[in-house]
Amino acid sequence: MSVQQSAVPVSVASPGDLPTPLRGRIVAGLSGPYRSIPVLIVLGLIWLYFYSQNSAYLTTTNITNLTLQIVTTAILALGVVFVLLVGEIDLSSAMLSGVCATVTAQLAIKSDWPLWVAIGGGVVVGLLFVLAEALVIIFGVPSLIVTLGGMVILQGLLLVVLPPEFAINIGGTDYAKISSTYVPAGWSFAIAGVGWLLFCVARYRSHRGRDASATSSALLWLGVPAVVSGAAVFGAVAVLSEGRGLPLPVLILVGMLLIGWYFTSRTRYGTHLYAVGGNREAAQRAGIPVSRMVVYSFLVLGVCAAVAGIVEASRLLAVSNSSGGGPLMLNAIAAAVVGGASLFGGRGTVWAALLGALVIGSINNGVQLLGLSTEVQSFATGGVLILAVAIDVVITRGSLLPNRR
Amino acid sequence: MPEVAADASAVPATRGELLLELSGVSKYFGGVRALHEVDLELYRGEVVGLVGDNGAGKSTLVKVISGVEHPDSGEIRVGGEPVRLETPRAAQSAGIHTVYQDLSLCDNLDAVRNVFLGQELTGSLLRGRPLDRHRMEAAARTVLDSLAVRVRSMSTPVGGLSGGQRQGIAIGRALISDPSLVLLDEPTAALGVSQRTEVLELIVRLRSQNRGVLVISHDLKDVQEVADRIVVMRLGSKVAEFARGQYSSGDLVAAITGAHDAPRPSEGDR
Repeated sequence: MSVQQSAVPVSVASPGDLPTPLRGRIVAGLSGPYRSIPVLIVLGLIWLYFYSQNSAYLTTTNITNLTLQIVTTAILALGVVFVLLVGEIDLSSAMLSGVCATVTAQLAIKSDWPLWVAIGGGVVVGLLFVLAEALVIIFGVPSLIVTLGGMVILQGLLLVVLPPEFAINIGGTDYAKISSTYVPAGWSFAIAGVGWLLFCVARYRSHRGRDASATSSALLWLGVPAVVSGAAVFGAVAVLSEGRGLPLPVLILVGMLLIGWYFTSRTRYGTHLYAVGGNREAAQRAGIPVSRMVVYSFLVLGVCAAVAGIVEASRLLAVSNSSGGGPLMLNAIAAAVVGGASLFGGRGTVWAALLGALVIGSINNGVQLLGLSTEVQSFATGGVLILAVAIDVVITRGSLLPNRR
Repeated sequence: MPEVAADASAVPATRGELLLELSGVSKYFGGVRALHEVDLELYRGEVVGLVGDNGAGKSTLVKVISGVEHPDSGEIRVGGEPVRLETPRAAQSAGIHTVYQDLSLCDNLDAVRNVFLGQELTGSLLRGRPLDRHRMEAAARTVLDSLAVRVRSMSTPVGGLSGGQRQGIAIGRALISDPSLVLLDEPTAALGVSQRTEVLELIVRLRSQNRGVLVISHDLKDVQEVADRIVVMRLGSKVAEFARGQYSSGDLVAAITGAHDAPRPSEGDR
């Protein structure tokens, strides 16, 4: 690539150099690096409220419970984030998680296969199903309809793969140990330290490639996320280690989040995902294989659904005809959206899955702890969801003012 | 016909290398004649304006050159060699890059990622093809500097930038593959006065980089300002060609509306 410099430098005063009004800067900040700040504030307020009502809320035991409760939602939400990024939606992954967990249980317990092979079987089933869905979607059928139909098909499929008694008890098997394994404190801190260091190194390396205007905010770019993530990671590990230790499902979730973060933010694959969600026609003209990117994102969803289902089954010690049902699907979508993934595609990070699941899980956990009625839980979760989508709409429109017609 | 006389004198004394040559290109959509026996030559270091009324065949001609549509008859030669531009990719590898009217930017991506969209510099497959952010950013900056496009930050989404900056980034994407010929489809449509000036300066800068430029525009004022040569299309045919300084605005309008062929000014394209 060679570009000749123009001989005569002409200064062009562009309106972009003018200071933007505060309102514009708020919207720009929300669409950029500060998207997670309102979510963190809401999370802080929720914790503060429930702690003020009952100090048992922020005890080691309850925090361990909370993390175990949110893991399934968060893993499923991670898959949903990938699908939202390319501008699609999914309604079937919760039911799929139930089917995958049941297939794994059949293979591991009824057929007595080694657990790893059985888990592999569950993941393959998940991949095949989402592949079929994705192929219909790139054929042109809206994903809302394909995955709605897929969900109904999966409800039937669950009854097919379940034994006649409609339940498999997995208590006392290796399968159940996935959720009841706790990593000892020493190992937890070592893993957290390595993970945090890698995160900081990756941020530092990408920072070196950035332009002068970003260098001026080096402290903001490097220091603040490093301190915040460090405090969150080591704080969480310290709290959990005081109790029974770091639960294995949490480690699985964090591992999946880190892999997802690397691929979405640091690779060509990730750039193309965002491009497809941001402007599909532009992506096509730029030579990006749009349909293939949609299939890839659904395959990620398939893996997430299988893992989420297996973790959930091992936590509940059984699979049954209610596996993957209930509020799991809506919670996963709500978590992704509350955390900051845009329903309109192309915006949001993998951390949205964790943050959103924490917000929704914290509300549910607090309501149960205080012994409040489930109505309160519904009101609070619904309100937070609508607030989150309202923020998303503001960012998409680029203005705090309502549409004028 | 006066246009033919203008055509004969349209060739300036000094010309760059011949980049693209269309001879007898025709294109039909069903029974509709979109292009009829069009001849066109584009040279290095020259800005050519392509004007015409709605339905005159400008867009079809652009689509043929950028590899979106294929001519039914006629020949396209790039650098003297006959070529078939089957896809936009093929046109790009022949050194022809098109900047579409809608700019085809991803508003949610930053300037660097937009400039390199689909042509990212990456590391090994083993590491999942990580972006080489350093090289991409340096190259994007060089290209944007060469166009004197100022972007406050290379790492904020381009959705919030001004129309002129966005046009600059779209042209920057075209320049990343160092094309010899740049097609600009309605580059000044829907721009404000200052941004329009900015874009016209971008076009002049492309010429000073010794590229060939084909500007398609409705705006005769813009075209007269930057074009070294103006090609007028009407009803699918090339009806006139004017060199800079050898025409009046009246000549242009007359050629576009076909006032010389049909004295009634109310006669339109349809």
